[in-house]
Amino acid sequence: MGLLYLAALLVSLAGMVVLDRGYSLFFWRDPRRAAIVLVVGVVFFLAWDVVGITSGIFFRGQTEFMTGLLVFTELPIEEIFFLTLLCYLTMNLVGAAGRLLEKRATR
Amino acid sequence: MTYWAMNAVFLAIVAGVGIVAVALAATGFRTGVRWASIGIAMGIVLVMTAIFDNVMIGVGLVAYDADKISGQFIGIAPLEDFAYAIAAVILLPSLWIILGRRPAGLGAGDADGAGGGSGGGSAVGPTSRVDAS
Repeated sequence: MGLLYLAALLVSLAGMVVLDRGYSLFFWRDPRRAAIVLVVGVVFFLAWDVVGITSGIFFRGQTEFMTGLLVFTELPIEEIFFLTLLCYLTMNLVGAAGRLLEKRATR
Repeated sequence: MTYWAMNAVFLAIVAGVGIVAVALAATGFRTGVRWASIGIAMGIVLVMTAIFDNVMIGVGLVAYDADKISGQFIGIAPLEDFAYAIAAVILLPSLWIILGRRPAGLGAGDADGAGGGSGGGSAVGPTSRVDAS
């Protein structure tokens, strides 16, 4: 079982949590809202993936870097963490950019 | 169905949610989100997608049916993949804005839920509050 990709995703996600907590960007700004946004986002992108897979547009590559655990045909468990990272990164960036702009505006 | 045809469907949903958020802001609702911050995030997420999508395809995490993609690439990443990044940067802050439309500490009343915002926005938020907290 290849754990490399999953491990990389978990490390990156941990980084997102550290930044979120340090600068109050997303969950540390409004936990309830953040939870809803993250869950809706991940479910939306998973639906997108499933349509892509069932339409035969894309599929799992041949690699040793993944665990091989699937949550759906051709949909590796790693994808859930990838989509979570995409959503968390996006909202951290929006939050961080907002804080920087705010700081500049009030200086 | 091609990759672009599928993306069109999902991007239409994203656009719809984005329009609701913009409409809410237009009513004077305090969004708490600066539009410029969404632009900055968009630039960074697109650049990161260009880098990491190439890595992910390069090491074989994902593959594509050549008949269903446009054949336009950034490196080895199909151009269509960038729709995910664009969708994330529009959909998620829009949801954040829409979910924040019940102003804390003000009376209830706002009963039509988070998905609304179809025109009846005048009763939504305190128009006197300014965006910079």
